[in-house]
Amino acid sequence: MALGLALIGTLAVGLVALLAAGLEPISTLQAIIDGAVGTPYAIRQSLTEAVPVTLAALGVAVAFRAGLFNLGGDGQIYMGALGAVGVSLLFPDLPPILLIAAALIVGTLGGLIWGGIAGVLRAKLRLSEIITTIMLNFIAFWIVSYLVNGPLKDPGGSGYPVTREIGVSAQLPVFGDLIPSGAVLMLLAAFAVWILLERTSTGIKIKGTGSSASASRFAGVSMARITILVMGLAGALAGLGGAVSLQGDQYKLGEFFTPGWGFTAVAVALIGRGTAIGTLVTGIAVGALRSGILSAQGTAEVPAAIAQILVAAAVLFVIVGNAEGAGQLVRRVWTRRTGLANE
Amino acid sequence: MNDLFHIITSATLYAAAIRLALPIFLAALGETFAERSGLVNVGLEGMMLMGAFGAVLGSDISGSAVIGVLVGLLFALFVAVIQGFVSINLGGDQIVCGIALNIGALGVTAFLVRAIWAGGNAPQVEGFSAFHFPILADAPFLGVAIFQQSVFVYVALLLALIGWWGLMRTSWGLRLRGCGEDPLACESFGIPVKRLRWQATLICGLCAGLGGVFLALGQLLTFSDGMSGGRGFIALAVVIVARWSPLLAIPSALLFGAVEAFALRVQSSSINVPPELLLALPYVATIVVYAIVVGRSNPPAALGRTYIRQ
Repeated sequence: MALGLALIGTLAVGLVALLAAGLEPISTLQAIIDGAVGTPYAIRQSLTEAVPVTLAALGVAVAFRAGLFNLGGDGQIYMGALGAVGVSLLFPDLPPILLIAAALIVGTLGGLIWGGIAGVLRAKLRLSEIITTIMLNFIAFWIVSYLVNGPLKDPGGSGYPVTREIGVSAQLPVFGDLIPSGAVLMLLAAFAVWILLERTSTGIKIKGTGSSASASRFAGVSMARITILVMGLAGALAGLGGAVSLQGDQYKLGEFFTPGWGFTAVAVALIGRGTAIGTLVTGIAVGALRSGILSAQGTAEVPAAIAQILVAAAVLFVIVGNAEGAGQLVRRVWTRRTGLANE
Repeated sequence: MNDLFHIITSATLYAAAIRLALPIFLAALGETFAERSGLVNVGLEGMMLMGAFGAVLGSDISGSAVIGVLVGLLFALFVAVIQGFVSINLGGDQIVCGIALNIGALGVTAFLVRAIWAGGNAPQVEGFSAFHFPILADAPFLGVAIFQQSVFVYVALLLALIGWWGLMRTSWGLRLRGCGEDPLACESFGIPVKRLRWQATLICGLCAGLGGVFLALGQLLTFSDGMSGGRGFIALAVVIVARWSPLLAIPSALLFGAVEAFALRVQSSSINVPPELLLALPYVATIVVYAIVVGRSNPPAALGRTYIRQ
């Protein structure tokens, strides 16, 4: 029931936003749905848009289950893209399979290091990952900005701060003109996260750490090791997302590589309640929504910011639905209404 | 070397440090109240952003910067009210709520900018110019560094003193701090935990909002997407560095303002360092300073825990 209420609440917020923008709701919604899933091309675009968000969100979900908040998705995505673009441009003559794999791996490592730093700072120095991941986002942004304005800048790029485009041999294929290979990686990653959380002893330790840190410590679980592990893993998944977007969609790295995927990923993981399946489903839905809005923008002038408002509203409704006090409030109103004073 | 010496000894560096520290300080001051009452408010960034947006909107429509301040504060209060309702009344997770509000504020402001102003860009608006103290403003060095600041600086100083007095020297402040240490014990003594936490949340919204208002009307004189630039999160670190003290928040925030000011001065000097790397400096400094100080910090005992009266 809570989920249904959250959905209705979110739709209501969306309706208000559309009306505030002076748009006719029914036809706009039609345009968004058409833009999201109306044609094979639209489906491909929706999947492409969903992949980096969902990969980053799977990482956020793992960290969330351990009681940690990875707000550093954007920085980790930048580092992943940086790793991937570096390998792709440095070794263009490698055989495609080798080059694609190497770029993806180095990108993943870039994210892993960036997330791992926050994990180590938390585990060894007790620094809140909420603060450090945000700082690392800005640091990553300025490092990338420096590189694409300087050493990595495309000399033939008519002055824009972007790298050269990667060669075809580093680009990810699209299966049957419909399924981007990133979408396959996304499914595999979701499955791996599910195995990790539900079928391994490490998963039990991660979830135990999240629900009761002191009980886990008594059970002999190393908090430091779990913290570094999950933050590194979260970073690695976001980094993979960055690499996939670079090699499968954008092909070059610039200052505006991520349109806030990192924060959207946090919302996606929270709406998916930190489960692999919930996060995957929410991630694909949010990707489709973003893609639908972006393509409707041409015809219906729907600002992309609406997607951000909607996911934020959805998170709020989900918290409210889960909150103990909300249940109390509903019960109190109910008893007052029905006149049953004895609870 | 000579250039560096020149930068460090120039009064304009210190003037800029104060100016840049101000929004961070105001947000940290608000957060100090919230955290002392037991609430973690991660939504500072969103409050600042909404404050900045409201200020530009109000100033643009009315042509008066004062109206801009009021509208900005109202926008920030709106965020605080949601935060308060979800975390205090409903007992929702405080951190998740704050994160959602940050994302929401980014979305709402970006949406409104495009819905209100043609071309999707906020205009230049009426702001506040510097206030020159008679006589003192002409003093060597200190005149430029301290006595030619925006009126916000002096207001903030006053707020710091009032905040310190209210929190540390009144029975209201004692009770508020009690809520942050042991809300159940406070409740059993008849202290209205909910009401005090609501007051702390609204104070937090007003202070962080004022920080955003100053960013808009005291510095940029316009609004751009995400212009709070992580200052809400730096303020979270400042609160810890200042050990939850309204007065210690002044030097802590100044430290971060000084780093940013230094980076900007070096950028405009003849010293050859890539500007982008200088702009990353405040964020690196935040982690470093936070790491040095955190081991000795002692947060309120009930900080971040959901408290719902049974």
